[in-house]
Amino acid sequence: MFEIFSVIWKKFKEYIVLVLLLIISLIILSSSQKQSAKKASSVFFGVFANFSSVISDALDIAKYKSENSSLRKTNAELMLEINKLRQYGIENSELKDLLGIKDTLRYPILPANVVSKSLSRSQGTFTLNVGRRDSVRPGMPVINEFGLVGIVYSTSSNYSIVRTLENLDLSLTVKDERSRVDGVMKWNGANLVIINVPKTFDVEPGDRIITSDLSSIVAMPVPVGVVVGLNNVETGIFNEVKLKPFVDFVTTENVFVIKVVESKEEDNLELNFFNRK
Amino acid sequence: MRSEYLWSIILFFPVLLIQTTILPIIAIHGIVPDLILILLVFYSMRLGQLYGTVLGFLYGFLLDMITGSLLGSTMISLTVAGFIAGYFSNENKRDYYFKNYIFVLIVFMCSSINSVLNSFFSSADLNTNLIHLLLNQGILPALYTSLISFLVVFFYPKRSFES
Repeated sequence: MFEIFSVIWKKFKEYIVLVLLLIISLIILSSSQKQSAKKASSVFFGVFANFSSVISDALDIAKYKSENSSLRKTNAELMLEINKLRQYGIENSELKDLLGIKDTLRYPILPANVVSKSLSRSQGTFTLNVGRRDSVRPGMPVINEFGLVGIVYSTSSNYSIVRTLENLDLSLTVKDERSRVDGVMKWNGANLVIINVPKTFDVEPGDRIITSDLSSIVAMPVPVGVVVGLNNVETGIFNEVKLKPFVDFVTTENVFVIKVVESKEEDNLELNFFNRK
Repeated sequence: MRSEYLWSIILFFPVLLIQTTILPIIAIHGIVPDLILILLVFYSMRLGQLYGTVLGFLYGFLLDMITGSLLGSTMISLTVAGFIAGYFSNENKRDYYFKNYIFVLIVFMCSSINSVLNSFFSSADLNTNLIHLLLNQGILPALYTSLISFLVVFFYPKRSFES
């Protein structure tokens, strides 16, 4: 009996090992969402991110000089914009006082740098140099000067992993800024799309898309992208709205984490897509 | 030979550092070459199919843990890639493979399979994107990776490792 096994092993050992390793991989794949797996992963990426942040910082120094001059220009433009908005703000708060509406649009933001990016386009993750010590928690939105970048997925003490909008596991409730139509946006592997939008809904190319106040992940209006087209126009009762994100995920380096205080009551609602398994 | 087994593990970490920090700079439309795969193919061809399969599994495990991607997805794809690359570990032809474009073709094949499998397990929406999956996440990254693998052919020592 032993001899038979020995002969089989000698003849097919490569195949036996391959099958065994694939089975182990599939078992790990099926249990990848477990808390223990996430904890182990956060330890690994935390240690590795220490090293990658050193290289990333060294690379950044070279870029700072040219970036500084363009930032000065942006600052001057923003200063003029802020002056204008300040006038609107004063007017707005006076009107809100008159109507008795509470002002809720104040969120603490934390600057962060991207220290490494996922290996391939299909994964859509960034590692940031802020973590639990900076009060970053999973579920917090990440933005840059153009709009929404993604959502914090996992944290270690000094680093965190962000699922960008180009990650298939991330779905968000968004809104058409012009027509106020809501929908669920996701990455389909090729494009950013709002799925199952009834054809009767008023969504047109060129419309700006922002995050919806219905979303329990990003409940404040953050720009997401612009509508570039509609798929499935001829068939079916639903359209798939194709978006172009405002953020360029290839060149993104500096971001901000919005430290939104999570509402437990809202977290338990079914609309919270981040918690949905 | 034994030290080569050790080097195949040690080299993984500096190569991954370059992959995640420097290579995004030379990305074309978000497509980056996969240095880890080149390393895997190189050692699978040098050290045999069995070792290549196990090395692919190990690299995949470490990648999944470090990059925060879906745990198990890269393990599967790199295990298969290591297995396929190991087919070309013929001792007599090894140096011949490394010294000309055949190595690049092997990298291209393994990279295509790795990218498609990885996308399939980690991010594919097959209903709408099968062709896109094959082209943008399979063939194009594989082309870029195999282009970079010319460096191995270029810098591979004229005399063989053994001699």
